[in-house]
This record gives sequence, C-alpha cells and structure tokens, in this order.
Amino acid sequence: MKYFLESSSGRTFEIEIIELGGEAMSVTIDGREISADFIDVDCRGQYAAVLDWHSFAASIEESDEQHLVVNIAGESFMMTAYDERERAAQAVAGQGPAKAEVIKASMPGLIISISSSVGDSLAAGQAVAVLEAMKMQNEVCCQNDGVVVEVLVAEGDNVEANQPLVRLAPPDSE
Amino acid sequence: MAIKKVLIANRGEIAVRIQRSCRDLGIETVAVYSDADRNALHVRYANEAYPLGGNTPAESYLRSDLILQIAKQSGADAIHPGFGFLAENGQFADAVTAAGLQFIGPSAAAMATMGDKLASRAAMIAASVPVVPGSDAVADAAEARQQADKMGYPVMLKASAGGGGKGIRVVRAADEVESAFATASGEALSAFGDGRMYVEKFITEPRHVEIQVLADRHGNVVHFGERECSIQRRHQKLIEEAPSPAIDAPMREAMGKAAVDAAKAVNYESAGTVEFLWSQGEFYFLEMNTRIQVEHGITEEVYSVDLIAQMIKVASGEKVDHLAGRHPRGHAIEVRLNAEDPENNFMPSLGVVDNLRWPGGPGVRIDSGVYSLMEVTPYYDSMLAKLIAYGSDRNEARRRMLRMLQELHVGGVKTSAGIALNVLQSDEFVSGNYDTGFLERYMEEGRHHTIGTEAPDDLEEIAAIVAAMHRQRAGKRRTISSSNSVTNSWVSAARREQHSRVD
Repeated sequence: MKYFLESSSGRTFEIEIIELGGEAMSVTIDGREISADFIDVDCRGQYAAVLDWHSFAASIEESDEQHLVVNIAGESFMMTAYDERERAAQAVAGQGPAKAEVIKASMPGLIISISSSVGDSLAAGQAVAVLEAMKMQNEVCCQNDGVVVEVLVAEGDNVEANQPLVRLAPPDSE
Repeated sequence: MAIKKVLIANRGEIAVRIQRSCRDLGIETVAVYSDADRNALHVRYANEAYPLGGNTPAESYLRSDLILQIAKQSGADAIHPGFGFLAENGQFADAVTAAGLQFIGPSAAAMATMGDKLASRAAMIAASVPVVPGSDAVADAAEARQQADKMGYPVMLKASAGGGGKGIRVVRAADEVESAFATASGEALSAFGDGRMYVEKFITEPRHVEIQVLADRHGNVVHFGERECSIQRRHQKLIEEAPSPAIDAPMREAMGKAAVDAAKAVNYESAGTVEFLWSQGEFYFLEMNTRIQVEHGITEEVYSVDLIAQMIKVASGEKVDHLAGRHPRGHAIEVRLNAEDPENNFMPSLGVVDNLRWPGGPGVRIDSGVYSLMEVTPYYDSMLAKLIAYGSDRNEARRRMLRMLQELHVGGVKTSAGIALNVLQSDEFVSGNYDTGFLERYMEEGRHHTIGTEAPDDLEEIAAIVAAMHRQRAGKRRTISSSNSVTNSWVSAARREQHSRVD
C-alpha cells in the first residue's frame, strides 16, 4: 500500500509498504528503499522501529485514522496520512461544499462571555466565546466561515466537554 | 515541640514531595482530597486520608474550617500548606495557631507585609534592601525631569492610578520628558480621571533572580543562593536553573545578604523566596514569596539540603545557624512538565495520561504527582511533574536534561516538554545569556518550531515512516480483530475516540 503523508511543517512524503509475509516488508520513501523492522511493543501505540539500522522508540496517538501525532526522542510531529484509495477519493470529491458547524466546548468550564449573537457572520478562526478552565481563560473559535443560527449557552453557564455552544450555518445559505 | 504527624493541605506533586520529607523524618502524614482526587498519589502515599468533597478548589482545598477540623480529628500537630491554595492566607495561619497546632510557614504578619506592594516596598527601603528607584507623585514635567535626571535614563513615567498599560511612557533621554509627561498624564486623566504621575527607573533586559532563605524563630536567617527563573512566559516559569549563569560569588553574597535583611525586616520564619530583578550588575527587590516555591528542588540539589524537612524542623523550634555560609556545588536545571499545548497558546490540555515513561539514571530527579491513566481535570493547576537534572557543571546538567526529555514520554495529553527540549538547545540558553523577554521573543519568531540539533537523524522523515507503518499495521489489525472478535485496548481506545467524535 502507498501512503501520502503531510507533516504540520508542510513537508510531504510518499511511502510505499509492501508486505513480504510474516514480519518482513519492503519500505520505500520518496523512491528510496530502506530496510525496516517495525515491532508493536504493547498494542497501545508504542513501537520499536529499526530503519536502516537506526533504532527509534516511537509513540503514536491517533485522533482518527488519518490524523496522527508521532513522538520520537522528545520531539512531536503532527502527521496527516492518506492511503492511495483515500487520496483518489479526495481528488474526485475536490473541494466539498461549505459545512455547517457546531462549536463545542473543548473542556469543561465556565462561560465567561459570549461574543456572537444570531445573525452574525463569522470568519474561520474568529472567537465566539471565552471559556474559563484550569484557572485560565481560553477563547473558543469557529473552524469555518459561517453565520450564527443559534447560541445555546449563556454567560455564567457551566459547560461539559463537547457541549455545543453555538451553531453556524454555511455562509451562503442564509 | 517535636512534630509527629503533619496534615498536608494540598494535592498533586507538592503534597507527595512533602510526604516524602515527612517519611524521611519518621513523621506520619495526613492527606485531604477532593472527589476528583480520590485516586491521586498523595492520597495513596499518606498514612491517613480524609475526604473534603467537591471538585473545585473552593469546594475542597480552600475549605480552611473543614481542613482544620480534620487536623484536630486526626491528631495532627502541624499543617503544611504547600504552595497555592491556603499557603499565603494569613487568616488560615492564625486559625491553625489559635487551634494549638503548628503552621509550617511564616506568621500572618510577615505574609501581610510582604503580600502588599506598598508596605513591602516601604519595609525594604527601611531595611536598606535595594528597590527599583521610584519617586513619589511629581507635580509637573519639570519635577519629573528632575527626578529622572537623578535616577539616570531610561525611566518610566507611570500614572499613579495606572493599569492596563495606560498612562505609561518609557523615556530614554532628558529632552523626551516634557512631551511624554503631557501625553501620559493626559491619557491617565481621561482613562482614570486622575492625571498624577510618578517616575520609576526602567530596568533594561532584566533577569528574574531569586534568593532562597530559611529562618528560625530565634532570629537566625540563612540563604541558599539564587535560582535563575528568566525563562518564563506571562509570568509562568518554564525552566529554572541554579546557580544563575549571570551571578558570581561576590554578587551571590550581596544578594544573599539583601535577602536575609529582607527576611529579618519582617521577622520571617520558615522557608521563603526573595525575588529580585537583576540587570547589568544591579539588583532590585521585586517581592517576597512567603511559602515554599515550585522550583525549590534545584536549590536542594546544589546545596544538599532538604528544604521541606528544614521547614518542619524550624516549626518544631530548631535553629538554622549551622546551615549558614554554604556554597553551591554543581548545577541543577528544572523543567516544569505542564499539561498544556504550546502550539495552542499554552491552553490547558485535558485528558487521560497514558504510555507514561520516565527518564532515569544518574543525576535525574523527578517530583511528580502523575500516574498512568490519571485524568487531567480542569479543576486544578496544570503542572504534572517537575524534572530536575543535576550535573557537576552547567553543561553536564543541560545535557542530562536533554537526555531526560528525550527519554520521557507522556501520552494522552500535550505537555510543555517539547518546547523545553527546544529551548535548552538554543544559543541563548547554551551561552546563559537570556532575560525575561527571551521566551516570548523566541516563540514570536517561531523558533520553537525548529528541531534541535541534538536529533541525529531526520526525525520528521522517521516520523512519517512510522506513521505510514502504523497505518499499515492498524489496517491489518482492524481486519483481523473484526474477523475473530479479538480486541485490544489500543484498538478499543481508538474506537471509543471515533464514537465520541460521531456524537
């Protein structure tokens, strides 16, 4: 299977893995073949990797199949990984339609202020509320452009993690 | 009076740290805990444990009446407040004493004087401890210039009623005073309805250097040199070291004497920290923290002293004079391991700690309150642990800390470890030439995104290969586990994650 990886720094890698039976496999990165020995240590995301005789202890956390954080020797890398089928599907889908968004609390806390009301047009990344948790005030922002259709909490409310705060409609569907 | 049982009115790593000294001294410990902390290390490590109920600090660790009642009920003869919560609450200290127990810390009077900016400044001036030179309110621009000429430039013109950066001007030369005074005073008048101004010396590129003191109730005060705490961001320290690369032995003695004088001026008892701004060979009193501090461990390493044990001994009436005149040996560096996301404005990172792997070997000290599968909750401070590296010299300690951060792994939450690893390899840290503005500048310039030169390989490429391999394996495993119903915790954890995302 061929994989297309993009690091949060913007670097991209094309990696092909061919299983040769048992633990053996052939790994090619950007056209260069390397020797790879790759052991899952504990089935909890810890790997012992020997790549071209260089040894690494790596830990992986996945937020979903495609979005991974790889930790090696104290450094952290955010990686997006698509296999060739997903990449092909993406190419067909192109840019999808604008999406409705529900902005949720990232953690339990207290709503200090709400800075948007129904009908407001928001740009991606704009703050909609301030949430206090762990003695710190944090801005809650939207990820997409949109228009506020519903505000679901009030200032002074205690909210749970993932509790919906504000609903947005796509900007063109007003 | 010998202390036999100590109630620790705190949680997390500092509670465990205090328990350790108690055990070393053969003293029993009493823990108190909130609902959220039932499984916490400080509960498990204690001889006795009593619930406070609730989750927020107000519902739990700030309930002074309940804590005092538990202390009496358990037969404790002293209370150690740790830091934060009730540590600098004079009323609590008085209540503990009034109940016939020892408060392991300073008197309420010392806390009150040092807790008040104006009162502490006045006390320090009276004790001849250097403070940042400043004038009383000045009548007009001419008087401001007179004062500024006396102090030497640059100076700051500050509104007496000031706040939020309004009514403040930095003045670098005498001919700038008049116009700066007019605009700043006008600004203050319209913002606060009060245009009165005063002049203060502007400290250029200051370092935050603090002196550890220890005082007994017989009038003896000793100091254990300085800690360098300039690697900070919005007053949150990230890396501390002792000794400071900027301080030589004569300067250490001068600052140590000033700190001892400061403590004596308020009849201080117990461990405390006198914070100074240091710039170009001059130092100025900033404030005194009337408690044990987070970063006390690096002082303990270079002075071979257990400060928590000394606090308990002092509270039992012992003297500290035999500890005077010590000198630092070797070098220690501390990194604060906080559950926070440096990529996201240091927002707290909540979650369940997983795949915890601690460093080990020579020169490694870990003061921690964290354990595998611990939930990081929003209720308390985000500090998980303190990593301390000791070496025979500064570079050995630095290299040791690099190794520790490479060995460390904390899964489930994001932490400050990555940025610390990065900063420790910066030219400024290597040379020791940094000030309190360093970390903010470093991040604004995006330098924390670069991979340090310590990494021998192209780690980004390695990470990509590992990620691809992981996807290949995970795909295979998912096929296998769905065909024969074998699940493992990693896959089920991943599934839970996916389900919660669908909700």
